[in-house]
Amino acid sequence: MSEPAVTVERFFEQARAGELTGIRCGACRALAIPPKTLCPECGARRWETVPLSGDGTIASFTVIRVAPRGHADDVPYAIAAVRLREGVSLLGRVVDVPLETLAVGLPVRFRPIVVKDRSAIGFGPA
Amino acid sequence: MRRVAVIGVGVTKFGRHDRTSAELFAEAAADALADAEMPAARVQALYYGNVVGGETEHQLHTGPQAASVLGIPTVPTTRFETACASSHAAFRHAVMEVASGASDVVLVGGAERVLNVPTADSTEYFAYASDASWEQTLGLTFPGVFALVARAHMHKYGTTEEQMAAVAVKNHKHGVLNPKAQFRKEITLDTVLSSPKVADPLKLYDCCPFTDGGAALVLVSEDVARTARRPIWVLGSAAASDWMLIGDKRDLSRVAATERAAAAAYRQAGIGPQDIDVVELHDCFTIAEIVATEGLGLFEPGTGGLAAEKGWTSLGGKIPVNPSGGLKAKGHPIGATGAAQICEIVTQLRREAGPRQVDGARRGLTHTLGGNTATVLVSVFGRE
Repeated sequence: MSEPAVTVERFFEQARAGELTGIRCGACRALAIPPKTLCPECGARRWETVPLSGDGTIASFTVIRVAPRGHADDVPYAIAAVRLREGVSLLGRVVDVPLETLAVGLPVRFRPIVVKDRSAIGFGPA
Repeated sequence: MRRVAVIGVGVTKFGRHDRTSAELFAEAAADALADAEMPAARVQALYYGNVVGGETEHQLHTGPQAASVLGIPTVPTTRFETACASSHAAFRHAVMEVASGASDVVLVGGAERVLNVPTADSTEYFAYASDASWEQTLGLTFPGVFALVARAHMHKYGTTEEQMAAVAVKNHKHGVLNPKAQFRKEITLDTVLSSPKVADPLKLYDCCPFTDGGAALVLVSEDVARTARRPIWVLGSAAASDWMLIGDKRDLSRVAATERAAAAAYRQAGIGPQDIDVVELHDCFTIAEIVATEGLGLFEPGTGGLAAEKGWTSLGGKIPVNPSGGLKAKGHPIGATGAAQICEIVTQLRREAGPRQVDGARRGLTHTLGGNTATVLVSVFGRE
């Protein structure tokens, strides 16, 4: 059968290089965040990769002040659910935005970040 | 399918213990068997919940370990892991084993030990129930997940931090009446509002504690239940899932899995939310109780905060929620919580809850949520 369109490892390699990669169903055209094997809308197993703009707005956010062991040195840090222009959503760290100015609806833009040597999703000012 | 009943319950004191989780389970299970007047030799299977045993106790294979420590080493066991809903998932599958006719007497329970490790470690282990590649890398915590829910609920409905605090005040007040509760001390709105921030807008007193403890119950077929003194019947038991990634969930102000599991459980029981007299639900955070009361259909979407503020969910209110003190005050030993909630509802429906008894309770409901809102179980119970 077909190879996966985008693996988690590949997604985060590309994110590290500044590119956000989504997947679009070849049958019903539904857009999704990888990895997904079957289309949750129509059940097809035929994905195409599509670049995502990285532009979005904050749907919800929090400031973490008590962190897991591995992130204790970073507090306080902001995490937001961001709805991208294309209609899919991603969770990411918000960087270079004063914590007191965070708000639902605030426009932000994807920015690659590295947390503890791992590629991760970040968002900075739009 | 056959009718199924709970005929025995047992719960350890919740809090800090210097015993393994298997020992905590065994104490609760022996109490449940004694309560049921059921010899251990008649138990045909153990359905068991345990979550972070691999991390805090370096222990996998906790099902047979629990059975061995209890003293029933030869029964088939399975350990269930659906994060904080684990022993409720175990319960649902046990109900199906008895209802199908495969077994007549099954033990269900769970246990957890976490207070033997520092908070930064337990916070990390609990975060393993969120996605490793997408969410753990960001440093997302469980208070963080529900902070996102809280912020979305506040934005959409105008829910306030004071309304969330009212949930904590109410559950602490109930906890005073429960001798098994971890916290038996009343608090005020100011206690909550002035406590340190954990994940904005959630503060320390919006969060349930880390807890050691065990819980167990004896589940039997109708024929066996007829010989028991005070059986409580399982009217429905359902599970639902939702997207794992926070970003994939459609609306962060709702828990879609609660709505789906509740609809299925009510359908099985042939009743609706208006028929429920007492509820034990998953208040891992104050906002979680508000959203759950809406998702279970007890209140309209957006009015769960008002219900807490007005006292509608207090003992003596329209629909008492968490008379045990809930996860907030009773405590939250994650692998035991689902079973412990069922033990409380059984106790309420037997009218044996003492000073926290909901007068005249005939039907009760339990709701348990796993992890990042991706798992929910709902069960409905009734007197004859």
